[in-house]
Amino acid sequence: MKLKKLTELALLTALALIIFVIEMRFPDIVPVPGVKLGLANIITVYAVFVYRPSETAMLVACRIILGAMFSGNMSALLYSVSGAFFCLLGMILISRFLKLKYIWLCSILGAMLHNTGQILAAVLIMQSTAVMSYLPVLILSGSIAGAFTGLCAQLVVNRMSQTNKTP
Amino acid sequence: MKHKKIMIIIIIMIIILIFCVIYTVRSFRKPSGKHVLIIQENQIIYNIDLETAEDQEIKINYQNHYNIIKIQNHEICISEADCPDQTCIRTGVLKSETLPIVCLPHKLIIRYAEEGES
Repeated sequence: MKLKKLTELALLTALALIIFVIEMRFPDIVPVPGVKLGLANIITVYAVFVYRPSETAMLVACRIILGAMFSGNMSALLYSVSGAFFCLLGMILISRFLKLKYIWLCSILGAMLHNTGQILAAVLIMQSTAVMSYLPVLILSGSIAGAFTGLCAQLVVNRMSQTNKTP
Repeated sequence: MKHKKIMIIIIIMIIILIFCVIYTVRSFRKPSGKHVLIIQENQIIYNIDLETAEDQEIKINYQNHYNIIKIQNHEICISEADCPDQTCIRTGVLKSETLPIVCLPHKLIIRYAEEGES
């Protein structure tokens, strides 16, 4: 891997972590557990479209592990990992045949899969299907948040392609 | 061809979303029963009738950790827990029949009993 790419990925990871830590300070908008904006996923969506799948996976893995350490909530790590795995898989697959202007669509799909993965992990860990009832609510809120982060990622991609053209 | 694939994905997503909206709206309905189950590690440890229950606090231990469940004015909530995320406390009072109070780290669920379960 080239040094330049490594630096870029490290920078993006740091950015995602900063966003993640700031978002932790936000008060809850809806009193339903698991509902949050997921602003750090702006970086993930951006990376899916700009970098190779393996590079994106590395970025997300670093962010999740470091994020769990920063928030001091290691028990949530399993849910994040499972959610991120499904989310990345879906987004990388769909980004293959999506044009750049459909980033928001990719982001919504990613959010849906992320929530599904989280609930799946919760069902397996709790050995109970009671948590399944949260899935539709989470998918709904996730889609709204996903559309928002997708739009943000769209803006970032547009800006970055402009700056790359005129160095 | 590419366009068609995108359309299929959009349609599937819209269908899922419609289901979710219906479900979410339904979950705001008032519960029909008054029986509440407290479940830990898939075992029912308490079966409480909120109609007749007195105001009380129940402490539930999980390994070295605990949750304190509070019953007040025929409503149930988790008032204290030593888990790092505190999600169960922020969920507040159990209102919805479909959405339980969940404490993921302590594998604790509080939900309304379905018919024929109590």
